[in-house]
Amino acid sequence: MWEILFSTHHTDIGLLYIYLSTTAFIIGGALAIGIRSELFLPGNQGIIPDSNTFHRIFTVHGTNMLFFWLIPFASGIGNYLIPIMVRYKDMAWPKLNAVAFWMLPVSMALVWLGFADTTWNAYPPYSIIRAPGPAAEMWIFGLKIAGISSVLGAINFVVTILKMKHPDLPLMKTPLFVWATLVTSLMIIVAMPTFAAALIMLYTDRLGISGFFNPAMGGDPIAYQHLFWFTFHPEVYIFLIPAVGTAYELIPKFSRKPIFSYGSGVIAFVMLAIVGFASWAHHMYATGMSFTEKTVFMVGTLAAVPASAMHIFNWIATMWGGRIKFAAPMAFTVGGIVLFFFAGAGGIVNTAMPLDFLTHDSYWVVGHMHLFLMGMITFGFIGFLYYMFPLITGRMYNERAAMIQFWLMFVGVSMIFLTQHVLGLYGQPRRTFDYIPVQPLIILNQISTVGAWITAAGAAVFIANLIKSTVSGKPANMEDPFKLGEQYYDYARREPHH
Amino acid sequence: MVSYSKLALFLIPVVVLFLLDVNSAFAQESSKQYMSARIEIWALFYRLMVVAFVIGAVVMGTITWVVWRFRESHPKNKGSITPSRSEGAHH
Repeated sequence: MWEILFSTHHTDIGLLYIYLSTTAFIIGGALAIGIRSELFLPGNQGIIPDSNTFHRIFTVHGTNMLFFWLIPFASGIGNYLIPIMVRYKDMAWPKLNAVAFWMLPVSMALVWLGFADTTWNAYPPYSIIRAPGPAAEMWIFGLKIAGISSVLGAINFVVTILKMKHPDLPLMKTPLFVWATLVTSLMIIVAMPTFAAALIMLYTDRLGISGFFNPAMGGDPIAYQHLFWFTFHPEVYIFLIPAVGTAYELIPKFSRKPIFSYGSGVIAFVMLAIVGFASWAHHMYATGMSFTEKTVFMVGTLAAVPASAMHIFNWIATMWGGRIKFAAPMAFTVGGIVLFFFAGAGGIVNTAMPLDFLTHDSYWVVGHMHLFLMGMITFGFIGFLYYMFPLITGRMYNERAAMIQFWLMFVGVSMIFLTQHVLGLYGQPRRTFDYIPVQPLIILNQISTVGAWITAAGAAVFIANLIKSTVSGKPANMEDPFKLGEQYYDYARREPHH
Repeated sequence: MVSYSKLALFLIPVVVLFLLDVNSAFAQESSKQYMSARIEIWALFYRLMVVAFVIGAVVMGTITWVVWRFRESHPKNKGSITPSRSEGAHH
């Protein structure tokens, strides 16, 4: 235990990232269950005492899931696998790697203990004028530290991949997961400083010594939205691309076929990274931008469609003619792709500025972004965690329990978030503690809440499976634990500590 | 590596689409074109939505069929214990 806590070895740091992020996923999910249970019926159900607490809960839920589940999990699997894949003994800077990890628990403690109510966007003027302190300050500092951690981790990945890879290994021969990590890391390095600056401006505005975003002092709240989304629209791809990388790792192996087109996968990663920076203002169509600006950002957003489609066609073509083994990792990956497709279809509506006005700030948006985050990304990560389970523990997880979890989560997530699209079209605004007691809203909210409970049951099976299999699972055949007819990762690599 | 001709094939429709959009976007500069441009954009949008959802249905159907047909337990796959020529050949 102490050996792992004070280790700088990449597999130990990877393990710590995975522990932290999986814990964040479970406790953040518990908040979501509270939110959905409260919305089972209109009026106060007594699960969440008041609307202020409701705001605090969904703020921490959102912040926690994005910054302490999705990004750290991607760092965790990257830490485990990147040195193995580029054939280097460790990350380029092991101590910096450990520092980057240990900033995260501090950041997480600030966010959770503060329990701010600013929403995860922290839009001014509310966040600078009315949001109660010290919660908002703790949120600002928490995210500041998380941002620094992300940038340090990203620099380490870029240097490890570009400078430390084996000289006999060309970049174009590395697995696509390496490309996914490289592209994600470069995006973090480019995107994050803008938000870092915005956070400092937000903080000094709160102190009253500046008025960047304060209309009473001649500032512009919309400027914050531009700075925020310049970081956080690329961040959507920073969440997504590692999950796409895991799909490229699993689909060929479980289809028992090589990747259909390696080159198109690389091109699609690079294209996504570029267009990710050309579409931030599509989150802001309702802020009074000119028609010309909106059109440019609409086109910029639609430019992401070909790159996403290239990935999907690549996966279908890889599976085509294969002999697909539907063990849990593959089931979660393919299930995630199906949900990704629904999310993409909803996204086209959001992208189109005329229709965006119908769905803006409604439950449609909640359903859309959660289908991405819970669908493709979380499903991909859970599947990949199952795939890495023998590498991490030397044991096999319970396959039947994992498949039960898959079906519970697939049905549950579909019920929650597809229904929320319809709720949005019926006009239910997002981030509200209560809703009008009319029949379509009540029944749709109830379907969504029941879906959340089913998903929670799946998550309970997940945790039980992880704990029980870690303690008493069958020892895995480390040569080929999934019986796919090929060599698994080099298990011996996780042994040497330093 | 991808050849330049393939890249050009991909870039041509992107550039054409971009130029068409720029044309629509700047239509607001002239009051004469403004209304008709908005109607054209809505019409274009609905056509694109129809195309997008038809393609979506085809792709989803294909994924479902691929998953069903090429699963390990499919009768046509059950007999093949010997790995195929490409099995295990990954990057």
